[in-house]
Amino acid sequence: MSRISKAGKKLRIYLPFVNAGVQEASTYRANWFFYILGDVIGCFVSFFVWEAVFISNGGESFMGFDKGDMVVYIFLTFLTNKLISGGGTYDIGEEVKDGTIAMRMIKPISYNSTFLFQELGNKLMEIGIIFIPLTAGVEVYRFILTDSLQFNAGRFFLYLFCCVFAYLINFFFNICFGFTAFIFKNLWGSNMLKNCIVGFLSGSVIPLAFFPDAMKNVLSLLPFASLSYTPVMVYMGIYSGSEMLFYIGLQIFWCLAFWLLSKLVWKAVVKHLCVQGG
Amino acid sequence: MFKELLRAVKMHRIFIIQELKRMMEYKGDFLTGVIGFLISQVFNILFLSIIFSQIPTLIGWTFEEVLFIYGFSLIPKAIDHMFFDNLWAMGHFLVRKGEFDKYLTRPINPMFHVMAEKFQVDAFGELLVGILLIASALPNLTVEWSFIKVLLVIVAMLFASFIYTGIKIGTSAIAFWTKRSGNITYMFYMVNDFVKYPVDIYNNVVRSVLTYIIPFAFTSYFPALYFLTGENPLFNIGMTALVSVIVMTIGILIWNRGVKVYESAGS
Repeated sequence: MSRISKAGKKLRIYLPFVNAGVQEASTYRANWFFYILGDVIGCFVSFFVWEAVFISNGGESFMGFDKGDMVVYIFLTFLTNKLISGGGTYDIGEEVKDGTIAMRMIKPISYNSTFLFQELGNKLMEIGIIFIPLTAGVEVYRFILTDSLQFNAGRFFLYLFCCVFAYLINFFFNICFGFTAFIFKNLWGSNMLKNCIVGFLSGSVIPLAFFPDAMKNVLSLLPFASLSYTPVMVYMGIYSGSEMLFYIGLQIFWCLAFWLLSKLVWKAVVKHLCVQGG
Repeated sequence: MFKELLRAVKMHRIFIIQELKRMMEYKGDFLTGVIGFLISQVFNILFLSIIFSQIPTLIGWTFEEVLFIYGFSLIPKAIDHMFFDNLWAMGHFLVRKGEFDKYLTRPINPMFHVMAEKFQVDAFGELLVGILLIASALPNLTVEWSFIKVLLVIVAMLFASFIYTGIKIGTSAIAFWTKRSGNITYMFYMVNDFVKYPVDIYNNVVRSVLTYIIPFAFTSYFPALYFLTGENPLFNIGMTALVSVIVMTIGILIWNRGVKVYESAGS
């Protein structure tokens, strides 16, 4: 009982951060909306390029993907990446640069948790405004294409379940990475490099299924495949039962691994912090 | 007029030198950023080569032609990125935080000052990739060379870079009304991703938007088409110049109206 009330009290401390996240996202709603719209346009570029590929190929499928698969892949990968991504890295970088990190460090609460809860608020906004309409759009498109409903509620819930782990992996990974700001002081470049490598290794740029077998096998074991590739494959129903268990298990493994690493890195780098005129 | 232009060029050089000094503060970060950009382009090309390993042509375009257009599209973008990158700051925070005040108190044109204040070395990555792609595609293309053609294409690239600048001026000036407009600029830049590929692979709607509404097709496809085929210079190059002038004019008009409603941040 006392443990439950303790946990409840702990949660209450962090609730204001959730609220702050929602407010942050809604303050400049129009600006935020245009940003999302820009990203959606990026998906449509892929969509139209693929459409041209399918026309040129003359057939129904391209390397084992049919048109419906491709649309799901493009949009669900985008949505999953949005869902599991966080501004943590960027925020930490900014706070190191302007010294406001000191404000967070003097508070008697966990540094990681304040970011986590602030982001949760941000996520709630994203799910309502882009996730639901776009997923519905994709399913309508697939329905028109195949004349039958492809959506599977069971798989969808499994997908969401995978997304939770993917989010946590990404979160702890970014925390580890963001802490390098304590050493490099500035994060723009390393962040850019990280995003592009993660994007590639996670199959967001080129579906992992398109790689040669040996490379595909290695990449699917790395933590990056656990980010968006595993949830999207689950959504598409590509994995068999045992495969699914294996990949979800792998997600849990990476999640724990990065959680531990983030603790270790925090201990190591906190000594490096030098607040620049904060 | 000429004297003013000369002064602007001189000022720009001073800004560039200042900016380079500032950049040296975070040298390692800059290098990793450029490497990041190069790697991301390598991935994109890898993606294209995987596609082309399965299909002979993309709606009639060969791999080399697509590479050429892809490379071509990066160059005007890089030129604008290099010299006028600071316009992004307008939409992101200069207006919102009231920092635009600074530009109004200086004895040079505020718009020019904002544009020229930053010299973006990152753009060398784009420029390099663009030139490399064009150079690697050229040996496999049958192009008739002529001095006039090369000259026209270079001129077209300069005009094309002002299409970017014009769009950035116009969209960043929206911040005068809304305080924040960086993501509107971002949205336009995402539309730009379409023109890395030949515009005629898209359906009519997309093609018309890219030609008439957000005319990015003139930053790569049309001038590149002229270079590859030698056809229709009047439209392919002439329209590029005309569109560039129109976009710049609209951008400056929006800016001039916006600057009048600018009110500093109260803090």
